[in-house]
Amino acid sequence: MANVITSDNFLNDEQTKSLTPLLNCIVPPDADSGMPGAGELDFIGYVNEFAPEAAAGIRSELDELNTAATEEAGSSFGELSGADQATVLEILRHRNVRFGRAIVVQAMACYYQDDQVVALLGEQSPPFPEGNTVHPGDLTLLDPVKAAGRRYREA
Amino acid sequence: MADDVVDVLIIGAGASAAAFAWSMADTRMRILCLEQGDWMNPADYPSTSKHWQVRRQIAYNQSPNIRQRDTDYPINEDESAVSVANFNGVGGGTILYSAHFPRFKPSDFRVKSLDGVADDWPLTYQDLDPYFAQNDKNMGVSGLSGDPMIPYHDMPLHHIPIGKMGDAMGRGFNKLGWHWWPSDAAIISEDYEGREKCANLGPCNSGCAKGAKSSVDIAYWPLNQRLGVELKTRCRVREITVDENDMATGAIYFDENGIEHHQRAEIVVMACNGVGTPRLLLNSTSKNFPDGLANRSGLVGKNLMFHPWGMVEGYIEEGMMSHLGPQGTCLLSQEFYETDTARDFVRGYTLQVTRGQPPVSVATNGMLRGDIPWGNDHHAAFKRYHGNSVLVGICCEDLPEEVNQVTLDPELKDSNGIPAPKLTYRLSENSERMMAHGLARAEEALEAAGAFQITPFGQVRHTGWHLMGTARMGGDPSRSVVNGWGRSHDVKNLFVIDGSIFVTSGAVNPTTTIQALALYIADQMKNNLATLFD
Ligand SMILES: Cc1cc2nc3c(=O)[nH]c(=O)nc-3n(C[C@H](O)[C@H](O)[C@H](O)COP(=O)(O)OP(=O)(O)OC[C@H]3O[C@@H](n4cnc5c(N)ncnc54)[C@H](O)[C@@H]3O)c2cc1C
Repeated sequence: MANVITSDNFLNDEQTKSLTPLLNCIVPPDADSGMPGAGELDFIGYVNEFAPEAAAGIRSELDELNTAATEEAGSSFGELSGADQATVLEILRHRNVRFGRAIVVQAMACYYQDDQVVALLGEQSPPFPEGNTVHPGDLTLLDPVKAAGRRYREA
Repeated sequence: MADDVVDVLIIGAGASAAAFAWSMADTRMRILCLEQGDWMNPADYPSTSKHWQVRRQIAYNQSPNIRQRDTDYPINEDESAVSVANFNGVGGGTILYSAHFPRFKPSDFRVKSLDGVADDWPLTYQDLDPYFAQNDKNMGVSGLSGDPMIPYHDMPLHHIPIGKMGDAMGRGFNKLGWHWWPSDAAIISEDYEGREKCANLGPCNSGCAKGAKSSVDIAYWPLNQRLGVELKTRCRVREITVDENDMATGAIYFDENGIEHHQRAEIVVMACNGVGTPRLLLNSTSKNFPDGLANRSGLVGKNLMFHPWGMVEGYIEEGMMSHLGPQGTCLLSQEFYETDTARDFVRGYTLQVTRGQPPVSVATNGMLRGDIPWGNDHHAAFKRYHGNSVLVGICCEDLPEEVNQVTLDPELKDSNGIPAPKLTYRLSENSERMMAHGLARAEEALEAAGAFQITPFGQVRHTGWHLMGTARMGGDPSRSVVNGWGRSHDVKNLFVIDGSIFVTSGAVNPTTTIQALALYIADQMKNNLATLFD
C-alpha cells in the first residue's frame, strides 16, 4: 500500500492505518472498469507534493474519524471490519455532513490525475503535446440563423 | 540614473502595447517598451505536465492577489463586487485569456444617440473596421464569416471546432428561434505564420503550451523586436514625469534589482490596462497636477467598467467530451444584445457558451454538491457528469458610473513601495435587471438543449477579466481624459491606448476592440506627426 510506505508521512500510525480504508470507502475499486480504489494510490505523496497546506485538515479529519470509530465500534477505524467501517461512516456523515471535505478534495485531485485512472477515462495526460480531436460542428444547424437575416442595428 | 531619450516610451507590454508598437515601428522612431513582468516560457505551462489541473491553481491563477508572483502588484478589492483577473508579463492578460474575440457592434459606439444612456464614442465602428481586419491578420484569428449579428467581415482562418457540445447547444438555440454563431477566436485553427494549429489541449487559461493561442508575446512581440522595437522586462514604472509646460518627460522605474531609473522620452504611451494605467497616472502627482497626471477633469480612475458576468451550468448526457477544445471559446448567442424597449433594462448581453470542466473539477464539485456519492456508485455517477458539462456565461454590458472607480490605496503597496490600486465597484440596477434576465434565458437555452441539473450561479465575483473606462475618450476635456485618438487633453505628448479609454463597455470581450483602437491611434499619430502636440 503506497500510503504506508511513503517516507515523508505527515500522519501518525493510527491516522495512517485509517487513511487507506477511508479512501477506498470514498472511491472503491471497480472490477468491471478496472478503476483502482483511491486507497491504492500514493495519496500522501500527492499531498506532500501538491497540497502540503492540506495536511493539518486531513489529520484532524482522520482524528475525528478514529474518535467516532472508537465511540461507536470500540476501536480505531483501521481496525474495524468493512461492515463496521461503513456503519461508522454513515453515523459520522449523518452527524456532520461536512465530514471529510479536506480529504475528499485532495483525494479527487490525486485520483483523477493518476496515470492509470486518466488512461482508463481516455484522457490525454498531460494534454500537451498530443492534444485532442474535437468534432468540428454541424454547420447546417446554422441555416435558420442565416435565414433570419441581418440582426444588428445600423448606427 | 538618467537613461537616453527615446522617441516613444510605452508602459506595459500587453495586448494594446503590442499592436501599437507594431504599427509605430514603420516610423523608424526609437520605441522602447517597459514591462514589469517576464517573458513566459510555454514549456513551463501547466498543460505540459500531468498534474496540470492543480499546477494551474496558484502560479497561473488569474488573480494577482492569489498568484502573488514577484512581478505582480496587489489590488485592494474589498469594496468591489467583482475581483480583477490579469497577468503581468510580456503579453499581459493575453497570457491567460480565453481568446474569445468578438468585435464591438456599430450600436456600441452610439449608445447615447440610440438609447439615451452614457455617451457616444468619438469614433464609429466604420472607423475601426480596417483596424479590426489588420489586427485579425496579425494575431491569427479564426471564425466563420457571415454572422448576421455583425457587419460582414472575412476571417483569416476557419472557425475552431465547436464539438458535439456546440451542436447540442445550437439545436437548443434553434428550438427557441434564437441567434447563435460559432465564436471568433484568437486561436489558430490552421498552421499560420510559422505557428502550428491548435491541438485542442483544453486549458487555454493557464497559458497555451502549443503556441496556437494568439497571446501577444507570440503573435506580435517577436515581430516587433525584429522591426526594431526595444522591450525591457522587469522594469516597474512608478510615475510619469512632467515638466512645467505640462509635457511628459519620461518615466521613473525600478529595475529588477530595485534600482531607480529615469527613462526620458518625447512621447509617453500608457498601456497598463484599465486598472494599471489609472493607478500610475494617479501616482504621478506634481505641482501642475496635484490630483494625478492628465487628471484636470477629475475622471482618471472613474467610470470603471467590468462586464458583470453570470454563469449557469448544465449537463447534457451525450458523451460530448465537452471539456476538450479551447476552454473559453465555443459559440455565442446575441439574441439579447441590442436594446429592446419592452424589457426593464437598456442595452443587452451576450450568452457565451464555454467548454465543460476537466475531470478533477467535475469530481470535486460533484462530491461537494453531493451529486457524486462516496462508495460503489461513485464511478457510475462520475461517468454521468464527466465530459457532459456545459457553462453558459452571461456577459452584461456595464454602463459607466463615476462611483465605480480605481483610487490609490492609502496603505497597501507593491514590492517596490508603489501604492496599490483600490477598487470601489458595485452593480447598477440596470445591470442587476439585465443579469436576472440573462440568467433566466441561459437556463432556458440549456433546457432547450436537453440539459439536466441546470444550476444558475448568479453573478460571479471572480470574473474581472475586462478592465475598461478609467481614462475615457471624448471631445470635451471636462468630461473625458483623452481625445478621440487617445491623446491626453492635459498633456499633449501623453497617450493612453489600453481598455481605460473605452467610453462604454459593449457586451463582448474587449480585446479585439482594444487592439483595433491601439492600431487606429497609432495611425492617427502617424498621420499627424507634424502637428502631434498642437
Ligand atoms: C483569465 C483571463 C481571461 C480572459 N479572456 C478574454 C477573452 O476571452 N477575450 C478577451 O477579449 N479578453 C479576455 N481577457 C482580457 C484581456 O486579457 C485584456 O482585455 C487585454 O489583455 C487587455 O489589454 P491591455 O493592453 O489593456 O492590458 P494588459 O494586456 O493587461 O497589459 C498590461 C501590461 O502592463 C504591465 N504593467 C502594468 N503596470 C505596470 C507598471 N507600473 N510598470 C510596468 N509595466 C506595467 C502589466 O504587467 C501588463 O503586462 C481575459 C483576461 C484574463 C486574465
